[in-house]
Amino acid sequence: MKIDVKHIAKLSRISLTDEELKKFTPQMEGILESASVLQEVNTDGVKPMKGHIKLEEVREDISGECLTQEEVLKNAKYKEAGCVKVYGKVFGENQES
Amino acid sequence: MNKELTDKYDVIIGLEIHIQTNTKSKMFCSCPTGYFQKQPNTHVCPVCLGLPGALPVPNKRAIELCILMGLATNCNIANEIYFDRKHYFYPDLPKGYQISQYKDPICSDGYVEISNGQKVAIERIHQEEDVAKSTHHTEGSTGKEYTLVDYNKSSVPLIEIVTKPNITSAKDAKDYATKIRQIARYLNISDADMEKGQMRCEPNISIQEKGKWEYKDGKILPIGEYKLNPKVEVKNIGSITAVEKAIEYEVERMSAELEDGEEIKQQTRGWNAAKGITEFQRYKESADDYRYMPEPDIPVIDISKEDIERIRKEIVELPNEKIKRYMQDWDITEYAADVISSTKESAEYFEKLQKKLSESMNEKDSAKEASNWIMGPLYAIANKQGKEIADIGVNGDDLAKLIVAFKEDVFTKNKAEELLNQSIEKGLNITDEIEKLKSAKESVGSLDNIVKQVIDENTQAVTDYKSGKEASIGFLVGKVMQLTHGTANPNDVRNTLIEELKK
Ligand SMILES: [Zn+2]
Repeated sequence: MKIDVKHIAKLSRISLTDEELKKFTPQMEGILESASVLQEVNTDGVKPMKGHIKLEEVREDISGECLTQEEVLKNAKYKEAGCVKVYGKVFGENQES
Repeated sequence: MNKELTDKYDVIIGLEIHIQTNTKSKMFCSCPTGYFQKQPNTHVCPVCLGLPGALPVPNKRAIELCILMGLATNCNIANEIYFDRKHYFYPDLPKGYQISQYKDPICSDGYVEISNGQKVAIERIHQEEDVAKSTHHTEGSTGKEYTLVDYNKSSVPLIEIVTKPNITSAKDAKDYATKIRQIARYLNISDADMEKGQMRCEPNISIQEKGKWEYKDGKILPIGEYKLNPKVEVKNIGSITAVEKAIEYEVERMSAELEDGEEIKQQTRGWNAAKGITEFQRYKESADDYRYMPEPDIPVIDISKEDIERIRKEIVELPNEKIKRYMQDWDITEYAADVISSTKESAEYFEKLQKKLSESMNEKDSAKEASNWIMGPLYAIANKQGKEIADIGVNGDDLAKLIVAFKEDVFTKNKAEELLNQSIEKGLNITDEIEKLKSAKESVGSLDNIVKQVIDENTQAVTDYKSGKEASIGFLVGKVMQLTHGTANPNDVRNTLIEELKK
């Protein structure tokens, strides 16, 4: 089973060296390979087995407590004007890492 | 497009509309939704901040509102609700995925009838969550670009309404967007204010050579060897008017490109309202790149027939039905019916006024008078004040009294409008004023006597009239109107004067 690890990495904005690509590609393909036995089972017309709840059991629309701004920003590496600050271009080419 | 090009190409438009629905709490957590003008990052919890281990808990009201929108647009409602994860990597999406619906939307296969009678086909309406608000800046000291992210908007309930590609003009697209906004507002699903981002329209547009494509099962298919031109998606549209303008611009741009022998590439462009143009943003990532997967943290939600019937009760008479009823039952013009029903408030004002008037005149006349007064004086005042007609402070019952008094010839229409304006500007009580004018009219005596008095007192004008200067009749009419405090009917005055002057 072939996968394009370079493409997957790009979608996740992770840059991999050629060496890392060479190392990870067979590893990831191996994982998919072993999971792929599941594909042999015929699931036509079989619905996903998941828990069900009734609409009336779903959370009522009532607003509650939030974190403070300080707490929200606690884990942010950079912050400015009460916001999380992220360096990089508009579409996320992160220049940091 | 000029005539030559409109003869050559068809325009094909699909519209994606996102609407933030009116709930108190967010889609998957209890944070309050009202983020407008709030301090950044104060309506945030571990769930909408995407902290590891935090679990989403769906909001019942949000799901009800999504179903309500589906019912109002003639959709089928799913009996099981599934959520999926849509992955992409961007700072406004803290979890690295958005909880949305991929394969099984809550609502599917609906339609909305637009003004030209066409039923615009709705493919689906699904529930998802909004992303955080990001603003882009450049650092003065280093020249580095950066983004500031405020998570207050993260996970606010959002529904996406997707049409099939069966809209065929910019005007129809605008009309459809208007209908969707009206439905959302009539049913309190959303305030749908585009300037505040509560409603966002993203058209996808393509142009194809006439006769070389067909619309089948909700898809555009090529005929024979023809290669379809790809579609272009336009974002950043901030008003309903801009929907029409942006599409018109794109159609021009794409047809010019094709005529120059260039190939159109599938892409996303942004509407620049100030310049009135669209600007290239990016070539489009294909759907597979989102790596959708079933959301494992939310159980399947079962929707019963009883749930749907209970939600259906929230549907009120919508603009399309109102327009038909006003036209059929009351002979109101289509234009007036459309304008009056454009907001729920103005429709309610009209219907109340009609009902009050019908105590004094028949149904149709009541509707006609109500429509004329709303479309005329009331909208003039509302426009001047920059308000909705329901908010200009004219009590419908007072206005009804004024209209009835005018119809009973207590005073002229001019006088009635003057009273209406004075009641707004000076706070005059309309009922009192009507009574005053009624008794004034009684005390001034018969019109004949006043006409005689005016003829006696204005010998010059009488001489002028008799010597052929017919215009001076206007002067005499004015004098009589003055003495009657505007309570006489000017036509009666004119006729009585002419009769009297013949003697
Ligand atoms: Zn939250």
